[in-house]
Amino acid sequence: MRLAFVGKGGAGKSAISGTFARTLARQGDKVLAIDSDPLPGLAYSLGLAIDHTPPIPDDAVIERKEGEEGPRWRLNPDVDPFEAVDRWSVEAPDGVRFLQFGKIKGDPKDLWRSQMAFRFIINKLPAGRWNVVGDLPGGTRQAFTGWGTWANTILIVVEPTAKSLLSGRRLARMADLDPENPKRVMVVASKVREEGDVEMIAKGTGLEVIATVPWDEELAEAERRQLAPIDFAPDCPAVRAVESLVERMSEEKVA
Amino acid sequence: MSPEQLLGSVEFPEDDVVVADFEAGVGTLTRLGEEHVDTVVIVVEATPKSLEVGARAAALAAERTVARIVVVANRIRHDEDLQTVKAAFPGMEVVGVPHDPKIVEADRKGVAPIDLDPNAPAVLALIGLASTLIPTSN
Amino acid sequence: MKLAVVGKGGSGKTTTSSVIARTLARSGRAVVALDCDSNPNLGISLGVGDEETERLVSMRQALDEGEEEHANNWDTLISRYGSDGPDGVRLAVVSRIDNPEPG
Repeated sequence: MRLAFVGKGGAGKSAISGTFARTLARQGDKVLAIDSDPLPGLAYSLGLAIDHTPPIPDDAVIERKEGEEGPRWRLNPDVDPFEAVDRWSVEAPDGVRFLQFGKIKGDPKDLWRSQMAFRFIINKLPAGRWNVVGDLPGGTRQAFTGWGTWANTILIVVEPTAKSLLSGRRLARMADLDPENPKRVMVVASKVREEGDVEMIAKGTGLEVIATVPWDEELAEAERRQLAPIDFAPDCPAVRAVESLVERMSEEKVA
Repeated sequence: MSPEQLLGSVEFPEDDVVVADFEAGVGTLTRLGEEHVDTVVIVVEATPKSLEVGARAAALAAERTVARIVVVANRIRHDEDLQTVKAAFPGMEVVGVPHDPKIVEADRKGVAPIDLDPNAPAVLALIGLASTLIPTSN
Repeated sequence: MKLAVVGKGGSGKTTTSSVIARTLARSGRAVVALDCDSNPNLGISLGVGDEETERLVSMRQALDEGEEEHANNWDTLISRYGSDGPDGVRLAVVSRIDNPEPG
């Protein structure tokens, strides 16, 4: 399974993807959770106490030498993607491994090398050993170019607001951007309160809504306390909804 | 032209007000020049992630500009939330905006909050903030 | 006066910007609202409606893709790529929509 969660900030992406990763791991699957969003998020939802994991070292990425052919930058051949994951990821509860490039505290310019290394490593990781669950930045294109090529399935997290729908629609339109890497794109309806919200989201995006996560005070409270929803409120409706999503994705073997 | 280029190069008429809604995060702030803006309004909620981004924004704004900095503590449910935000921004101007079902409704419907209910608590708080931002001529 | 509104996505930046812009316009000021987000939504909060917001975004995309000429000065930018909103607030979508940078 290689699944990327995308969507406008505030929709609940991190809480949902973190809970998804923990639940999948509890089923016995090997899960690598990745966070390519430079703004903080997924670590807390996974149940990691600290959010500042060390960045991938600069020399993981090397520059083409004068006269050499090929792309300007590539992964250092000494870096094996599996080893890289073992070395640079952090262990989260339930055995989930978490990998992210350096966070917002660093100067963005200094981090770009580790960001590139991150992309190379994830893209090169052969399918099979790891299930990858990722959180992608809220911006529009990244999911379908460069940053999300590792994913087979994109889940757009959409709230029942006009702004979130607008973002969702834009993301949905980009699904065909890279025909060589076709992806399945679906919607997770988040913070649903009223009858008709799900229909509004389905109609507004034109996509299948594969899961509905209700508005849930306990999920919001978990966030305020920097705790993983699955630890803080394991029986809350939102966590249950994500558990159903995991079942659905596992059955369909779509991801 | 990028936002920071625009703010730095265009001669806006002196009495005009430019309200720039920046990209989420602090990217644009890292590229801002000293006189690109007169005021930076940092919007945060009383959650760790939001406060972390806000703190980074405040540091950048103070480093890179001579702008007045105002923090908006948004979606405040009880006084504890407001105190949490004030503690994260010691000595700075913090304006509280309450959690407001009317804002939620405006978002759902895709209409301007100020049109849906100009007397909604959150709207009034923001109107109050706006009036402190410039001297209004009476 | 130039004012920037910043914050984590979902914190309420756009709603805040919109009420400030509309309020200052009502007080008699000439207000220009710049949507600098790569995911532009300010038009909705200002009250121009989602169709008009989408139209402005497409115009911006056309500009980015080179189909339209760049506006060299502010007035041209606003008149060609901007929109007149409620209370006379003028709105322009500024940012490149497909920002290749993460986050």
